[in-house]
Amino acid sequence: MHNLQEPYKLEYPANFGNMIYIPADNPLTVAGVELGRKLFYETALSGNNQLSCASCHKQELAFTDGKQFSTGVDGSSTKRNSMALVNLLWTDNFFWDGRAKGLEQQVKFPLEDQHEMGQSLNILSRKLSEIRSYPGLFRKAFGTATISGELIAKALAQFERTLISSNSPYDQYLAGKYSPDSSQLRGMKLFFINPQPEKGIRGGACGHCHSGVKTTSQLYHNTGLDTIFTDGGRADVTGQTTDKGRFRVATLRNITLTSPYMHDGRFKSLNEVLDHYSDHIDEQPKLSPFLKDLSNQKNTKGLRLTLQEKEDIIQFLQMLTDSTFIKDPRFSNPSLISQ
Amino acid sequence: MKHKIAGAILLTILSLTTSGQTGQGTLTVKGEVGLPLTITTAGLSEFRHAEANMKDREGNMHKYTGVSVLSILDSAKVTLGKQLRGEHLKKYLLVKCADGYQVLFSLAELDPDFGNKTVILADRVDGKPLPEGKGPFRLIIPDDKALARNSYEVIEMIVSFAKD
Repeated sequence: MHNLQEPYKLEYPANFGNMIYIPADNPLTVAGVELGRKLFYETALSGNNQLSCASCHKQELAFTDGKQFSTGVDGSSTKRNSMALVNLLWTDNFFWDGRAKGLEQQVKFPLEDQHEMGQSLNILSRKLSEIRSYPGLFRKAFGTATISGELIAKALAQFERTLISSNSPYDQYLAGKYSPDSSQLRGMKLFFINPQPEKGIRGGACGHCHSGVKTTSQLYHNTGLDTIFTDGGRADVTGQTTDKGRFRVATLRNITLTSPYMHDGRFKSLNEVLDHYSDHIDEQPKLSPFLKDLSNQKNTKGLRLTLQEKEDIIQFLQMLTDSTFIKDPRFSNPSLISQ
Repeated sequence: MKHKIAGAILLTILSLTTSGQTGQGTLTVKGEVGLPLTITTAGLSEFRHAEANMKDREGNMHKYTGVSVLSILDSAKVTLGKQLRGEHLKKYLLVKCADGYQVLFSLAELDPDFGNKTVILADRVDGKPLPEGKGPFRLIIPDDKALARNSYEVIEMIVSFAKD
């Protein structure tokens, strides 16, 4: 049996940095993470007892669901594409529009949304109290068998903070243990370099926003998908018209597993995504300034990447697929393992 | 350092909004300050004028006009000049932008007695208001070799102590 206070040991490479987000009132413990993992796969978390967090966040798909939009308890579709749950330890604002500050707040949204999991935290707490194993697990994790929405959220947040993907071929390359082929090397260079046509330097400028070893940043940008906004994006949270059409910069970790792409899942493949950034960005006032005037050729608009350059970038993106992450037994359904 | 902005002028600076919501039309200055500020584009004219020339990514030179960040910090009664000694040398200025971007300066980096780094909060480029996506406020640091701290859509300045 684990000690109640036994801390959960997080392991990640030094180059991921330590700008991590763990609230002082919710330190990770072995018992807390275990409980969170069980809850993550618990269908009682939905009003119809059919859906768990894992229904829309499947481990084999880097915790996405492979759908353009997910289906909730009432059969309706979500407004936006299911986001990957990867390296959330380094994130403190969540959803495509950043409306939740901290994972403890984030997890309550789908639980209580009438179209997603569809039940109040009070009803959920009561349901879990009536399932034999849970009061004891909450006592182990938090020192009390009285289940509450706050403790459910804390346990789920603890588990989700352990979902660290840091063993991709790219990580192995950075550690000097993997040799990329020539296409991957070309793609890596294009990914991180901004084009400078006056110097004859070609680039994809992807790494400007998908920056650093974690290939993400906590930023919101309009990537020129639309000129008429059916989804306000970040503006729905801030109320600022200048934020219309801005969405979160998503992680590219395990990106080959998380299709379809963009906030509304409009692109089925990475080829379509590359085609957009290369050839189809709508030049409009609200377009991110980092995408405006990007060009690989003097006096022309757009990156206009060649077919080979697009393929090279995709080959590099495949280096971000972490096969150990999607098979890690620490993240899998505990009830399936015990069977 | 003397606080050069008279109290009467400070009356033109709006007080913090009750909701605490920051918007792209205003700049809030808070944290380890003697006087929290919320500055509008109109209120910017009350601070010390500053201008600088800086090249863009394509190498084209532009003239930026605005106000000295030092004068904003001075008005917010931040510990500068002779006050910037001892533990105050552990203070930094965190600048936040509407898209979530953040950059940092040590107070000593900015103070005339130490680094004397020129940092401007610009609201105009080549005589025109900054374009959407970059304005209304942008940081200009003419002496930085890299452009990465010349942040767009500045909405917040927070003065804090480094804790470690």
